[in-house]
Amino acid sequence: MMKKRFNGTGWLFASPYLFYGVIFFIIPLIWSFYLALTDWNLIAPVYEFIAFDNFIEAVQNPGVQAAFFVTFKFMGAFVPMVIVSSLIVALVVHGLPRFKGLFLIGFFLPYLASGVVSSLIVKGLLSYNSSINVVLRESFGLDIDWLNSPLSALLVVAAIIAWKFTGYYALILTAGFEGINKEIYEAAAIDGVSAAQRFFRITLPLLYPALFTTLILSIGVSFGIFTEVYQLTGGGPNYATNTWQMEIFNQAFTNLNAGYASAVAIIASIVTFVAIIMIRKILEAWGKRNGWV
Amino acid sequence: MVGSSKGLVFRYIIAFALLSVMVFPYLYMVLNSFASWDQVDKSIIPSSFSFRSYEWLFTGGEGGMSRPWIRSFFNSVIVSSASTALMMVSGAMVAFALAKMKFKGRDFINNAVLFQMFFPAIILLIPTFLIVQNVGMYDSYLAMILPKALSLWAVFMYTNFFRAIPDTFIESARLDGANNLQILLKIVLPMSKSITTVIFLFLFMERWTELLWDMIVVRSDHMLTLNVLLSQMFGPYGGYPGPLYAASVILTVPIIILFLCFAKQFKEGMQFTLK
Repeated sequence: MMKKRFNGTGWLFASPYLFYGVIFFIIPLIWSFYLALTDWNLIAPVYEFIAFDNFIEAVQNPGVQAAFFVTFKFMGAFVPMVIVSSLIVALVVHGLPRFKGLFLIGFFLPYLASGVVSSLIVKGLLSYNSSINVVLRESFGLDIDWLNSPLSALLVVAAIIAWKFTGYYALILTAGFEGINKEIYEAAAIDGVSAAQRFFRITLPLLYPALFTTLILSIGVSFGIFTEVYQLTGGGPNYATNTWQMEIFNQAFTNLNAGYASAVAIIASIVTFVAIIMIRKILEAWGKRNGWV
Repeated sequence: MVGSSKGLVFRYIIAFALLSVMVFPYLYMVLNSFASWDQVDKSIIPSSFSFRSYEWLFTGGEGGMSRPWIRSFFNSVIVSSASTALMMVSGAMVAFALAKMKFKGRDFINNAVLFQMFFPAIILLIPTFLIVQNVGMYDSYLAMILPKALSLWAVFMYTNFFRAIPDTFIESARLDGANNLQILLKIVLPMSKSITTVIFLFLFMERWTELLWDMIVVRSDHMLTLNVLLSQMFGPYGGYPGPLYAASVILTVPIIILFLCFAKQFKEGMQFTLK
């Protein structure tokens, strides 16, 4: 009796998801596979089926190849940056007896910045006549064209996004630190454990679950970079910061190659999906081997 | 060791220094928005100040550069509020069904939500744009609101939180004759204030700073959100950095105020999500 009555209302309550899932997931998903097999250019009324030509063209395209590698290069720069900085913040903040919450809220503020705004600020800070560049030129003889050399452009974008996420991840890591039983440190102190040993043998293993969360989150972020790159480099110089999002946006909405861009998007999704699962597995295995999980 | 007062003062100094570095870009943005135009981006602290950048924005710019800055701010407010409100309502409804109602197909829906949440969304960008275009929503508020009317993350967060609420509360309300909607509104949601704050803030922030979607579904000047307008002016009109800093302040300050208003509940709510 009860069960029967719940039945319809259950679906009614879940109906927003059912509509959304069909209109904004199932239909676009099927449509994107359909589009990827055509040469449609977003405007022309006629188009042809070209089977897998888009995919063959895509994997040979320098922009797509760049996107594949840039994502991992970006990950290599961004993930260590953001983990180290949020770890430092969490290490400093978690032991404060007062104002800890206030500090954490302060550190969280960069998360609120629009990518457009942070890009604008960084562009200003790194402009030719900015005080940073003037000091570098006049005191150190360094004339760095930050956004026009491949390595520094990548590092600048990584740093902007690391700045954004540091406070958020510090919040997660601080909660991790707080979960560690203080008695373990007291026991370690009695046993005469050095500070380095304490960090690597006690803190790190016990922090591993929180660290794992931040690692997975930051790796996920690495696959979705758009705003900062669009704003500062447009994917350049010479594809050095060409992310998947940037490549797909350019192909679909600048060059209007909707069919081809759909194929790129499918490749991007598969790469992202497979890479994240593999990295997850590696991290889990690494944690298990060290006995942290 | 950690407790010694000397060490503690040192820790506070380090914490404060770190915080200063982290909020410095904001400070730089505010200072430059008030700087005289010949001072913008020249030094860390400008030597003379003026309101010219803000005047420029509020009068719509000069020399054929008139853009609807004020209108774009309200576009942002309309789009972000409507979209966030819908995401909150749909999130709570679906989560309530998944966490507290028994019906055939629930596990299927639950798995579908999880699957879709971890599915790389980039694949959907172009066809979703085409759907919006085909139903005639291109260049409208609806184009920015409806495709972002449900957040899988919100469903996920609410579902986890609702599951932690003991069934006895719900059963006793049901015995008193309350229907599901009443239970959700009068019992479950009032118990979920802190998680609601967390979900609301994250959704609103994300919506407020969205660029890619809002940029591709809107063409007319008067429909642009502030973030998109700022982005458009950023590139070709690099000659007006002062007003761009002022627009950045106008874009950033409301969201910071909103966050600070809810900061305490946000902290409480985060504690749950981090467990």
